[in-house]
Amino acid sequence: MSRSAPLAVLLVAIFANWGRGEAPGGAIDFQRDIQPILAARCWSCHGAADAEGGLRLTDRDQATAGAESGAAAIVPGDPDHSELLRRVLATEDGERMPPEGPALPITEVEQLRRWIAEGAQWPAHWAYRRLSQPPTPDTGDDWSQNPIDRFVIAKLTERGLAPSPPADRATLLRRLHFDLLGLPPTAGQIEAFVNDPSPLAYERLVDELLANPSHGERYARHWMDLAHFAETHGHDQDRPRDHAWPYRDYLIAAFNEDKPYGQFVREQVAGDALFPESPQAVVATGFLAAGPWDESSLRDIREDTLDREVARYLDRDDIVTTVMSTFVSSTVHCARCHDHKFDPISQAEYYGLQAVFAAIDKGNRSYDVDPRVGRHRDELAAALAELPSRLASQDPSLDDPELAARVAVWEAEWAATDSLWQPLRLEELVSTGGSTLTSLDDGSVLSGGMRPEQDLYTVMAPIAAGEIRGLRLELLTDDSLPQRGPGRQDNGNLHLNELRLFVIAAEGGEEREIKFARAVADFDQSGWSVDRAIDGQDATAWGIHPQVGQPHEAVFELAEPLVVADPTRLRIELHQTHGGGHLIGRFRLSTTSRTPRLSDRSLEPELARILGVAGEARTPQERRHLAVAYLTRNYQAQAAELPPRSIVYCGSNRFVADGSFRPTPQPRVVRLLHRGDIKQPRDEVQPLTLSCLEDLPAALAVADPADEGARRVALANWLADHRNPLTWRSIANRIWQYHFGRGLVDTPSDFGRMGTAPTHPELLDWLATRLRDRGESLKDLHRLIVTSATYRQSSSNPASDGQESAAQESDRQKSAAVIDGDNHYLWRMNRRRLDAESFRDAVFAVAGTLDSSMGGPSVKQFVQTPGMHVTPNVDYHSADVDGPAMRRRSVYRFLFRTIPDPFMDALDCPDASQWTPTRGESVTPMQALATLNDKAIVRQCEQLAARIERDRPTDPDGHEHAHAAVREILGREASDAEITSLADYLLSHGLANACRVLFNSNEFMFVD
Amino acid sequence: MNVEREPSIGSATVSRRELLWQAGGGLGGLALAQLLAEESRAQDTAAVGQPNAGQPELGLGDKGLGDGLHHPPKVRRVLQLFMNGGVSQMDTFDHKPELDCRHGEAIDFGITAAVTSEVGKIMKSPFPFRQHGESGRWVSDVFPHLAGCVDDLAFLMAMASKTNVHGPASYLQNTGFVSPGFPCMGAWISYGLGRIADDLPTFVVLPDHRGLPYNNGGNFSPGFLPAAHQGVIIKPNAPEPIGNLTPPASERITAAGEADGLRLLAEFNRRHLEGRADDSRLGARIASFELAAKMQASAPEVLDLSRETQATRCEYGLDDETTGPFARNCLTARRMLERGVRFVQVWSGMGGPAKNWDNHSDIQTELPFIARSVDKPIAALLRDLKQRGLLEDTLVVWTTEFGRMPFTQGATGRDHNGGTFVTWLAGAGVKAGTTHGASDEFSYQAVEGVTQVHDLHATILHLLGIDHERLTFRHNGIDRRLTDVHGHVIREILG
Repeated sequence: MSRSAPLAVLLVAIFANWGRGEAPGGAIDFQRDIQPILAARCWSCHGAADAEGGLRLTDRDQATAGAESGAAAIVPGDPDHSELLRRVLATEDGERMPPEGPALPITEVEQLRRWIAEGAQWPAHWAYRRLSQPPTPDTGDDWSQNPIDRFVIAKLTERGLAPSPPADRATLLRRLHFDLLGLPPTAGQIEAFVNDPSPLAYERLVDELLANPSHGERYARHWMDLAHFAETHGHDQDRPRDHAWPYRDYLIAAFNEDKPYGQFVREQVAGDALFPESPQAVVATGFLAAGPWDESSLRDIREDTLDREVARYLDRDDIVTTVMSTFVSSTVHCARCHDHKFDPISQAEYYGLQAVFAAIDKGNRSYDVDPRVGRHRDELAAALAELPSRLASQDPSLDDPELAARVAVWEAEWAATDSLWQPLRLEELVSTGGSTLTSLDDGSVLSGGMRPEQDLYTVMAPIAAGEIRGLRLELLTDDSLPQRGPGRQDNGNLHLNELRLFVIAAEGGEEREIKFARAVADFDQSGWSVDRAIDGQDATAWGIHPQVGQPHEAVFELAEPLVVADPTRLRIELHQTHGGGHLIGRFRLSTTSRTPRLSDRSLEPELARILGVAGEARTPQERRHLAVAYLTRNYQAQAAELPPRSIVYCGSNRFVADGSFRPTPQPRVVRLLHRGDIKQPRDEVQPLTLSCLEDLPAALAVADPADEGARRVALANWLADHRNPLTWRSIANRIWQYHFGRGLVDTPSDFGRMGTAPTHPELLDWLATRLRDRGESLKDLHRLIVTSATYRQSSSNPASDGQESAAQESDRQKSAAVIDGDNHYLWRMNRRRLDAESFRDAVFAVAGTLDSSMGGPSVKQFVQTPGMHVTPNVDYHSADVDGPAMRRRSVYRFLFRTIPDPFMDALDCPDASQWTPTRGESVTPMQALATLNDKAIVRQCEQLAARIERDRPTDPDGHEHAHAAVREILGREASDAEITSLADYLLSHGLANACRVLFNSNEFMFVD
Repeated sequence: MNVEREPSIGSATVSRRELLWQAGGGLGGLALAQLLAEESRAQDTAAVGQPNAGQPELGLGDKGLGDGLHHPPKVRRVLQLFMNGGVSQMDTFDHKPELDCRHGEAIDFGITAAVTSEVGKIMKSPFPFRQHGESGRWVSDVFPHLAGCVDDLAFLMAMASKTNVHGPASYLQNTGFVSPGFPCMGAWISYGLGRIADDLPTFVVLPDHRGLPYNNGGNFSPGFLPAAHQGVIIKPNAPEPIGNLTPPASERITAAGEADGLRLLAEFNRRHLEGRADDSRLGARIASFELAAKMQASAPEVLDLSRETQATRCEYGLDDETTGPFARNCLTARRMLERGVRFVQVWSGMGGPAKNWDNHSDIQTELPFIARSVDKPIAALLRDLKQRGLLEDTLVVWTTEFGRMPFTQGATGRDHNGGTFVTWLAGAGVKAGTTHGASDEFSYQAVEGVTQVHDLHATILHLLGIDHERLTFRHNGIDRRLTDVHGHVIREILG
C-alpha cells in the first residue's frame, strides 16, 4: 500500500469488497450478490410483509409467477423477458423501479442480469437449510492441527492469505486463562507452563482449565448477557428480586458439568414440566424471567385498564424475544406489528409464540432442593386435596376404627389446648357512608357498591351465655376488590381508625361499651399499627400497606372478661374516617373465651357444632367429618415439618398472588394484534412456531390446550430437535464468538436475511454437527477450538509498524491487512479488550484479594438504604472496599437494572434490560477515569503493593519492587528501561501508585 | 474542523485524526471513532462500524454550526427540562373554562376507571388563569415567572402518550419505546453528532437533588448504543458531583504523582504499541487518558458557581430554600452548554409518591409546592441564555411523561392521563410565541394537532441537522431509530 494513498478511499473499497464481495468472473452467488440488492432496494414494497402489485421477491416461486400486471418479474434464463430487469432500467416515472431514490447502479443491474441468465438460482436462506456435516477440505497442509484449521486455511488460501505464526507460550497461557476462566494466570503458573518440557503441555492445560470451576462462572456470565439477566424489575418500581440468583448458579453448574446442550435448552424453556423430579430443572426456568418486569402496570394499576393488558403482551414479548434470540438467533420480535419484513416469519407465528407462554408470568416459585422431600410434599398436598371428595362420597376408609381411635385422642388433646374462635353471625349490617354490605356463606361480610370517602360499618351479633375474652377481626381478600383487597382503596389498603364493641344488657336494655386492653396484628403498616385502632383517636388508624392482596388479622383482648348470663347481642362499630376510600373490603369477626393469641386457629362452624355433640350421639357422617378435620390437621402438620422450600424467581404460573398480580391456572387468551395495536385485536391464536424449517412443522402438538406446561414442552422439544438447524448453528457460532471475539456469523442473535452471512459456512456447519452428534458437549467444542492452530496464532501484525523490515513475513501481513483488515478470515488471532468483569476480577486476583468461593445469594457491592417508595437507594461510592462483598467474583454481583454500577458501565457492562449477544468495546475518557480512580481498584493497588513490600522489605533503589510489580501484573519480566522508569516513579510516589499505572496499561487491559 | 486525511502509519506521534482513519484496519474502528469523534462523526462510523448503514456521507465541515449530519442545523445543543411525574396540564398551561362550568358534575368519558382510581367528578382548576405577553397565552398562577416568558416559547398543546403508567411513559418520552433498554435521546444525539468540547462530556444529566426519577438511570441509558454515549450523571449538590473524576482522598495520591503517573503510563503504552500499532483501540486508549486529564482540569471550573454574580444568583433564586437546588442545576446547565456540552437534561422531581409532579392526592397543595421550585429558576435560565446569545443555537425543551385527568381522584387529586399534556420549546429554530394543537373542552384527550413524542424527537433531531429516519443503529435484527417507525417533524412551530 502506498504511504500516500488516501486511506479513506481505500477503506471504502475494502468494505465494499467484503460487503458486496463479487468474485470477478466467478459465478453469481445469490446470497452474496443478489439478496443484498433485493433487501436494500425491493423488499420494502415487495417483501415478506408487502406485495405491492401482487409481487413478492422473497422466493423463487413468487418471483417467477405472474404479478398483477401479468408479467413475470423473473424468467429464469431469460433476462430480456424478465419484468424486473425492464423496470430497473426504465427511466420514466411510474415505470422505473425502485420508484424513489437513485436508480440501481449499472454494476448491480449487470449482476441481476447475469444471475437471471444463469438460471436465477435461489437457494433457501443459509440458516434454514438442513444441517449436515460437510466434508473437511483436503488441504494437504502441514499447518493444520485439526479439521477446523483445514476449513480456515482453505479460505485463507482462496483469498491469497496465510496464517500467522503461533503465539508464544506466555501469550497463549494468558489468552487461554481469560478466555476459559475470565481470570489471569499467576506468576507461578506462567513460569511452570513456559518451562514445561512436555509436547502435550498445552493440551493438558486446556483440560485442566476446562475442569476448573471458574470456567462455569465465565460462561454463565456470557449466558447472562443473552438472557438479559438482572435482579431488579427495571421499571419505575425497580424492586429487588431476592430469589433470582439460583438461576445464575444453575448456569454455572450446567457449564461446569457440561450439560448436553439440548437438555440445557429444554430445561430453560420447560424444565419444570419436562423434569418435575429435578429441582434444577425448575430453577432453569429462571431464564424466562431474566428480563425486566413492569410492576406498576402488572400489579399496581387497576386490572380493568388497557394499560394492564398492554403490559401482559409486552411481558410475553420479552419472553418470546429472549427465547428465540438466544436459542435460534431469530428476530421473530420483528413480526409483532406486521409480518417480518425480511424473514419468512408471519405475525401469526409471532403471536403463536406468545401463546406458548400464555400462562407464564414472572414470579417467585417455591421448590424443594431435595426431590424426595418434594415428592412427600406433593403426596401430602394430594391427600389434602382429596379429603373433601372422600367426605362427600362417604369414603368407607374414613370409618376405619384405628383412625377413629386416633381422632378420639386428637379430640381430647386438641380441645384442651386450642383456643376456639367462634365466628360471630353478623346481622343488621349498616354502612353510614353508603357502601353495600353483604353477608357471605363463610360468615364474612363483603363491602361493595359505591365507595364513599369515609365510612362507619355497624353490625350486630347474637351471642350465647358464657364468657368472652377476645375479639378477632379478619380482613379477607376478594376478587371484587382492587388489588384483591382486603381494602377498597385503589391500592388495596384500608384504615381502621377505631374499633368499638358494645354489649346489649338485655333485650331492649341499656348498652355498655367494652374496652380493649391490647391489640396485636399479623402485620402493621409502618406508622399505622393496630393499637391505633383502639387508642380512642380518630386521627390514627391500623393499615396494612404494602401487604395488600393477602388476608390479615388482628386480635383484640378485652380489658376485662365479658360474662353474660343470658343470650344477648353485641354491637360492633368499625370507624373508617381516614378518607380517600380507605375502607375495609371484606371482614369476619370471631370471639373466644380464652385469652386470645394471634396464632390460635379457629374452628369452622360445622366442626364447632359437631364437637358440641356428644360422641355417641354423632351420625356416621359427622364422625367422618371429624376424621377429615383430624386428617387435615395431621397432613398440614406433616407438611409444616418438612424442610422449608427454596424459592426461585422464574417464569411460571405457580407463584403466590401479590395484590392484583396473580397466577393464571389456564393459559390466557392471546390474540393477534393488528399493527401490534391493543385496540385492534383479531382472532385468538394457538401455540405455533416458525414455519421456515423444512424438516419441522410450525404447528406445536399440544394435546390439551389448557395444559400450559405442554405448550412450553412442545416448543422446547422443537428448539432442541436435532433437525432444527438454527439451534445448533446458533450455539456453535456463539462458542466460536466467545473464543475469537467475533462469530463466523457476525450477528450472533440474527441469522435472518438482514444479519450477516457466515464467513465460513462449511466450518459453521461442521462445528454445529460435531456438537449435535457428539453428545452435545460444549466442552468438546471448546477443546477442539482452542487446540486448533487457528486459535493459537499470534495476534500481532509487525507490518503495522510501518518499519521497512526486510522480512517477507512483514510484506505478507501488510497485504493481509489490505485484503482482510478486519481479520474476518482469521489470518491472525484477534486481540481482545478485557470485559468489565474480567478486568475487575483480574485486578483483585493479582492483588491476592479475590474470594474464589462459589454460588449463593448475590453480593451487594453498594450500600442499600430504603428508598422513598419501592426502589431502594443504592450508593456504589460508599461501599466498603475491603468488605467481603467486594472481594467476590463479578459474576456474583447483585445486578441492579436501573441503577447499574457506574464502574462496570464505563467498561461496557451492558444495560441488563437489553439482550446483548456481543459486548461493546468502548474507549472513553469516563472509562479512563473509572479505571484510574475507582476506590476499589485503588485499594487493590495498595493491597498488592503491601504484599510485594512485605516479601521484599528492603529495596533501596526500587528495582526489586519494580520487577515484582511487572511480574505480578503483566506476567512477564521487565526490561531495563522499564525498571528504570518504574523504580524512579515508585521511589517518589510509592509502589501502590506504580501498580495503579500498570493496572491501567494497555498491556494489562488487552489480551494478545 | 481541519481533517488530516493523509495517514502516516507508524510515526511515533499519531494524531487523533490519523487514528480515526486507521480505524478501519482493526476491530477498534468504532471504539476509536466514538472517542475522537467531533462534529459529523456518525457518518464515519456508519461506514466503518455498521454493515448496513449505507454509503458514508463524508460531509465534514465546521462552518458555524457545521453542516449537520443530513442537512444544515439550526441548533447545536439541547437543554431538556424534564418534569417527573406528569404535570397537570389543566392546572398550568391548558386553560379550560368548561371545567369551571361543569365543576362537580359526573361526565361519562367512556372509561370505567383511570389507571389507579375510579372516575371522579369534574374538578376545575383551583388556580386562577391569566393571559400573558403579546401572544396572550393563558398561564395559571402556579407559574408567575414563567408566565413572563411566554412570548419566547412555542407550545405543543396536544402531546399524547400511549401509556398512563410512569415507568413505560418515562421510557417512552426518553427513548421512544415503552420498554427498558433503549437508548435515550441524549445518547442518540451523542451518537449522531459527537462532542463539541473535548474536555467535557457530550451528554450530561442533572437529576433532582432529592433523588433519581421514575426508572432511575434507565431514562439516561445508552441502551444498545456504545457506552461512549451514556449520560454522565452530575450532582452539583452532592459532595462528589462527578463519580471517579478524582482519585479517592489518600496521602499517597498527590497532584505531582498523578501527572508523573500519566506520563509513565503513556511511556508503557507507547512501548506496548510497538508491533501493535495497527490496532487503533490501543492508540485510542492512550488518547482517552489525555482527554480524561483535560476533563479533570475543566469540570471543577464548570461546577464552581462562585464565579457567578450576586445578580445572577438572585435571578435564579440560588440562595432561596425553595428554588435553590433546582436553580443550582439550571445554572450548572447553562455553564455546561456554554462550554460545549451537547445535551443537558435537568430533572425536577424524583420517583415515588411525593415531591414530584405526580399529584394524586391534592392538586391544591402538591402542585404549587413543586411548581414553585422550578418557576423562577427556569424563567431566569431562559433570560440568561437569551442575554448571552446562547439561545441562538440552543434549544430548550420543557416536558413531562403525561398529563392528568380533568376529574378528581379522591377528593382533590388527579390521576394519570396519557390523553393530553403540554410541552414547550424555546430557542433556536423555534417560532416563539406560537402554539400547536389543542385538547378537547375538558383537556381529557388531544384532538387537534395531536403530537406524539416521536414527533417531538423528530423535530429536535431535525433542528440538529439530523433526519430522524436516517439516524439508525442495527440491534438484534432491526435498524433501530429514536423514533421507532413513527415521527413527523412539527413544522408548525419551526421558525
